[in-house]
Formats: sequence, structure tokens, C-alpha cells
Amino acid sequence: MYSTILSGALLGIHASMVQVEVDATSGLPSMSMVGSLGSEVRESRERVMAALKNAGIDIPPKHVTVNLSPADLRKEGTAYDLPIAIGMLEALGFFPEGSAKGILFLGELGLNGEIRAVRGVLPIVREAAAIGISECIVPEVNAAEGAVIPGIRVQGAKDLEQVMVFLLAKEKERESILPVKKVSVEGLFRQGITQSGNDFSEVKGQETAKRGAKIAAAGFHNLLMLGPPGAGKSMIAKRIPGIMPPLTLEESLEVTAIYSVAGQLGDRALMTQRPFQSPHHTISSPALTGGGVIPRPGIISLSHRGVLFLDELPEFQRASLDSMRQPMEDKQVQITRTGGNLIYPSDFMLVCAMNPCPCGYFPDRNRCRCTEPQIKRYAGHVSGPILDRIDLCVELQAVGVESLQKEACGESSEEMRKQVEKARKIQMERFQGTAYRFNGDIQAADMDRFCYLGEAEKRCMKKLYEEMGLSARSYHRIRKVARTIADLQGEDRIRTEHLLEAAMYRPAQEVWKT
Amino acid sequence: MGDLQKEQLYYVQWLASQYELFGKLHRRVLEAYPDPREIFQVSKERWEELLPEKQAGLLWKRCQAESMAAMQEQYEKLREQGISFVARGQEEYPRRLNDIPDPPLGLYYKGGLPDGDSLAVAVIGSRDCSEYGSYVARHLGCCLGEQGISVISGMARGIDGISQQAALEAGGDSFGVLGCGVDVCYPQSNQRLYQTLMGHGGILSEYPPGTQPIARNFPPRNRIVSGLATAVVVVEAALKSGTSITVSMALEQGREVYAVPGRITDRLSDGCNRLIKQGAAVYTDPEGFLEELRETYFLQSVSPTKKKAKKGKEPDLREDLLSLWKQLEHTPKTVEEILHGLEASISVQDCTIKLMELVLSGHAKQVSSGHFCKA
Repeated sequence: MYSTILSGALLGIHASMVQVEVDATSGLPSMSMVGSLGSEVRESRERVMAALKNAGIDIPPKHVTVNLSPADLRKEGTAYDLPIAIGMLEALGFFPEGSAKGILFLGELGLNGEIRAVRGVLPIVREAAAIGISECIVPEVNAAEGAVIPGIRVQGAKDLEQVMVFLLAKEKERESILPVKKVSVEGLFRQGITQSGNDFSEVKGQETAKRGAKIAAAGFHNLLMLGPPGAGKSMIAKRIPGIMPPLTLEESLEVTAIYSVAGQLGDRALMTQRPFQSPHHTISSPALTGGGVIPRPGIISLSHRGVLFLDELPEFQRASLDSMRQPMEDKQVQITRTGGNLIYPSDFMLVCAMNPCPCGYFPDRNRCRCTEPQIKRYAGHVSGPILDRIDLCVELQAVGVESLQKEACGESSEEMRKQVEKARKIQMERFQGTAYRFNGDIQAADMDRFCYLGEAEKRCMKKLYEEMGLSARSYHRIRKVARTIADLQGEDRIRTEHLLEAAMYRPAQEVWKT
Repeated sequence: MGDLQKEQLYYVQWLASQYELFGKLHRRVLEAYPDPREIFQVSKERWEELLPEKQAGLLWKRCQAESMAAMQEQYEKLREQGISFVARGQEEYPRRLNDIPDPPLGLYYKGGLPDGDSLAVAVIGSRDCSEYGSYVARHLGCCLGEQGISVISGMARGIDGISQQAALEAGGDSFGVLGCGVDVCYPQSNQRLYQTLMGHGGILSEYPPGTQPIARNFPPRNRIVSGLATAVVVVEAALKSGTSITVSMALEQGREVYAVPGRITDRLSDGCNRLIKQGAAVYTDPEGFLEELRETYFLQSVSPTKKKAKKGKEPDLREDLLSLWKQLEHTPKTVEEILHGLEASISVQDCTIKLMELVLSGHAKQVSSGHFCKA
């Protein structure tokens, strides 16, 4: 007998449908699987046989062939266990033909028959809904993430037995066996906003750094923080996602899909907060950009629409940092394999932190004992191309006891976020109909269009250029940042004071001069 | 030693290029044989009497191998490279070096040599100087340059290079005494200064061309720095530093030592403050310093410096900018520190904008992203 069950395969953060075909005939008892299978999928045979036996099902000795179609698409992962098991049961006549028709199955099986979590439920369910499939059965743990997709019934199953009972039941009774998972997207978002624990008002002192962080968040500019150990660099970095505007549903689905594919969603249904990733400096370049034998999204994709924080920037291997160049430019990572290309999005805000010198106290010559060559060598560890992509640089100083003891200080994250949101709205209107989203994206060619300077401002820029020995790159950077500062103030035109403030935060400082 | 014949010069140059003899041995050889031509007839036994065993063997062997023609060729080769050699006893040999306890046998130089009669001031200090130190060095170098007083220094990073550069920019001349061969630019970062010095002053070294900058060569060169100068100004020095070697050499040579006072909390001023405590003259401003120099050395009055020191005078600025400017010092301050010092409370934003205005008008300097100091 022959049966066919619906399932899905991941392609980057997208998915495509897979038919699991099972044929059972009399002959020498055996089970063979074909269809361009990865090793986990081939191991599936052992898991399925044991799970069926332990679920109390006696498999008759038959010659079984399993094919995962399309047969030329590489299949990876453990999500095919459940559809294969269901396909075998149908082919062997354990439930009436057509009972599983139109239902998409995903799930890993334990040897005891329990259904375990798998990666990538969200993208597969989204694809299924898009092509008109109306029902799916997924592991219970993953039900919530599938349920955020409208227009498809998502049911979570605990074990194989439950699914068997469900398939044997009449149409009307089915709902009571495996209820459709319901998730309120609005509720999740509301919860997400109130959940954020870190607030900017907890950061004492460091007024310039906070101001810099606000400007960076408003224009999605990459930020570099310099400062001695313990000044609060990581503290500020952690609070940056909290002052960015909340994720839109569309953005949230993108981010959730990446986390789902990476298997890092846990029991969350939806990523409602902007991601914050802070990898250790020993990270390798595949871990950063994504890859591996079975390609998975790297840290930069997990930071999509959020913040990637690189603490101790000079300690990172140059090769790993350099591998971020292309993804930062294209805002996506392309992983090329013989089987085809995978694309993971990677539109993140880069926040870096480093000490100004090996000991951390430069330019305080009373505490810093580093020689000039040492400082230059230290700064030289930082990859130049990465520095070129940084728009703002702020300096933090060791916090004095006065500011530590001060009670309330500065703006709260809430206030800052309101200002940032206002600036973002202006940018959305400005960039309507273009490929840009934020001021940080503006390319040199469009500088005159979006960052127009009047006569007085041009004179100011000329003076800045000459006095500070700016490069063409930093010239444009100052204009971009000035645009964001003007947006924060709700001003239409860039004025000289915006340029001056932007110039203070310019990253080309003596520290880098080799 | 009297006037040297050209032929003798070849021999002295050859002797001066014998690296193994640096220290006391050069002098010992010359005292025993005032005419260096004789040393080529010296027997091995006599060498062994004169020098430690290792050097004696080496020198004897080398003497055997040398010929007059080869030495001449070596000498001419140097000339082709633009390197001159002056031996002690020659007219051009810097006169002031003659009365120091351990004068070098000869000097290799590119460019010129300091004039023995006119004033020269050695400006020395820390390689990793503070903004304060670099300001003082620049200011002093500039004033000396304007007065036509040569600046003698070691062309090192920090105070040395800054003062020499300032003197050159002010139109003066300066001499750099190196601890390596004159054809080796050390440190590399002072390449521009090295090139300019050749045209406006000179580069000097007692070490033969090609000598690499190794640590043990530097303390002995300091005696030449102070020896060439009439007075030594220590701009900035920590308690333990190479500068203290120069100072003790200067005192041994009877040179006047000036120290620039600093705050007692600044580690880089500890050395200077200690010198003052021990009785060094105090340097407070270039005018007073020049006046004292003149009195000490009975020189005709120096013309007043063209650029009056800005000290004490408030720049012509808008009121709000002026109050901000008053907060600035020569030690870099952070924006937050400046903010806290202000009477009126203004936002960070306003503060940074105004600071940048001061930077553009040349009244302030942005040292790093968040640090500002007086220009």
C-alpha cells in the first residue's frame, strides 16, 4: 500500500514543502529510505521503528520504502520522524486512508514515542499557510510559534499515541483531542514591552555616551564606545535595544523565523523585543556569520533588527571581523553550498566597545603607563574596514563616587525611546519609496538629496574638513549623523550646530592614527 | 691634538667606527697614541697591555687587515652618502664638547654642526608626554626658534620631537643627537622631522653609520645632548626616566638645569618637581627663561618674542564661549568634567556644540572623542 504525508524543509529562513511517500509491499522485511537525506534523516529509521514499537504498535514484517520528495532537495534535521511514522502507519493500514490528508506534520520522535521540539517550525508553517494548507500538527513545545501565523490551524502533540487517536477519531471529535493552539499576538507584544528590565536611568553619569547612544539608536548608526574598564560600556550597550522603537509584526516574524531556524526560540511564541547579541571575542567567523555542515544562522543574523555588541573589539580575530564586511554592506549573509545558496538576513546595529589603550586609562597620563607604540599597536588590532563602518564614537570615563551616589539621573529609557520613535517616523516619511530605512543607510551618492546643506552649513563643513583633516568618508559620516541629530530635534534642515555636534562624535581620532 | 692632517682623519674615523671601543677604551687608545697612524704599527702584546683581551685580539687583527687605501675609500663612501665626520681636535668640532668629561672621539653628522659660540638649549623630557608637557615643549621650542637659539634634543617621541619640530616651524634650527647611526631614522614616526633637520640644523651621532638603535647606546648619547647645550630644560619626567641620566650628565658638565614645574599629583611631573626641590632653576615662561640665559651668558639683549605669550590674557570670545573656555586647562578634561565645572547648567548637547565651536576657532583642542584641552 502507498501513502503520502505532507511535511516541510528549511531553506535558509524560508521553507519549501516536502512529500513523505511510504510504500509497503510484501517481500523480504526491510526498510529503506531515499531522497537526498542528511545523516540525521537517515538515522530517523531507527528512531521511528523503536518509537512505533514502544507506542504499542506491532509493525508487520513488510518491505517498506520511504521517499522524501522532491528527491533532489537536501533534507536535514529531525522533523521528518513524525511524518515518516505517520506515513508508515497509513501505508500499513493502521488508520483509514485519507485520514491525514491535508495535514502537515513536523516533529522529532523519542524512542519512547514522545514528540520532541524541532527547529524552524515558524517558517515552515508560514510557507504552508501561504500555499493554502489549513492544518498542521507540530511538537507541543513548538505549537505557540506556529500559532502566530494566521489562516492555519496549528495543533501541538505530545506523543505518537495522541496523534494516532487523533487520526482515528471522527472529524468532529478531533478538536477535543488536539486543541488548536491560540496565541494573541497583541498580548505578546504588550507583554514584551513591559518585560524590558534594563533602564537608561540606571546609568550614572556618562552623559555624552548616553547622548551618543540615543543618536545611534535614532538613525541606526553603528557605535563605538571607548573607555576604561568598569565605566559602563556593556551597561549602555545592553540598554540600547530598549530605546529603539518596538519591533513591528513584520519585523518580529522575520526575527522569530531566524531564531526558530537556529533553534534558539525556546518556548517563546514570538520575538517581541529587539535582539541583543554579545558574542565572546574568541568567536570564529562561521559562528559569527553563519554556516556549518548543516548551515545555521550566525550571530549577526541572530542580531537582525537588533544590536550586535562586540565587547573588547581589539581582541576579536581579524578574520572573523573581516567576514562581517559583506553582510554589513548587503544586510544579508549568503552561504554558498554545492546544493545551492542560503540567505540569512543580517540588518543589525553594530555596537563595539574597547579600552583606549592596553591598560584602559589613556589619555589620563597619571594612570596610563602605555607607550605610544603600545597604544597604536592595540588600536591597530581593530580591523580598519569595520572601523570605517562606524558612524559615532563616544568616550566614557571612570565613574566617580559622586555620580554613583547621585539618586535619579538623566533620562529614562522610556523618554529616550519616545524621542527615537519620533526621529524614526521622520525618517520613514523621508525614505518612502527608496531602499533606505534609516539615516545610517544613506550612501554617498544620495547625500545631497537627503542631507542637504545650506551656504552657512557648507562653510562650517569646509572649516571642519580643513581644521580636522577629515577624509571624504568621515565628511559624509558627519553629515549622516547631523541628519539624525536634526531629526531628533524635529528640524527639517541640518544646521551648523547639528554638524558641530556630529563632528564631536566622529570616530577618526588620534587613537587610530598610525 | 692640534690640526689634523687629512690622512690622520681617515685613521680617526676608522678608530671611531670601532664599536667595541666605545666607552673608555677609545680614550685610552688615543692617550697612548695621540697620532692614530701609529696604532697600526703596534704589536699584539702592546694591544693586550692596553685593552682587555677580547678587544685587543680583535683590534690587532683588524689593524693587520686595514690599509690606508681601504680607510680612505671608507671615508669617501661616507661623504657620498652625505655623511660627514668631524674628529676631536678639528676646528669644526663643537667647542662645548671639548670641556665635557668624556668627549666623543668624533661625530658623524648629516646637515650641519652647532655653532660653538651661540646659545643652544637642550629641551628634554618624557617620550610619552601629557598634553601639558607637549604644550610647554611646543611653546618653548617656538620661542627659541624665533630667537634663533638652537634647540638640541634626542629626536625621540614626545617632548624631544615636539620641541624640535616647533623650533623648526618657527624658523629656527635644531640639532638631533641620535643613539644610532645618522643614516638610521629612529623612531620611524619622526621621519619628517629627520628630513627637515638635515636642512635646518643637523643630525649628529658618535656611532658609526648603520648602527641600529639598541638600548645601551642611548644613555651615552645623552651626554652629547647636554654637552652641546648651554642650558638644559626638563619639560616633563617621571621619577624613573632616561631624562634623569641627561640631568646628571648636565650637572657633571656644569650646565644650567631648568625644570618645568607641574602639579604634585601628576606622575609625569614628579621628576621635574624633585629637580626643583634639589635646587634646579624653575622654568615658568620663555621670556623669563631667555632673560636669565642672557644675564648668565652676558649676551646682548634678545629681541622680545614676536608672539606674546597668551598666558593670562582672555581671548576675545562670546560670553558663553568664554565661560566654557575658562573651564579648559592644558590637561585634557572630559565633557562631563567641563559640564560640572560650569556655573550655569547647560545640556550636554549645548556643551559639545560650544566646545566644537572653540575647537574650530582655534581656542580649544579635541584630544580624543570626549577629551578637550586648551589649544
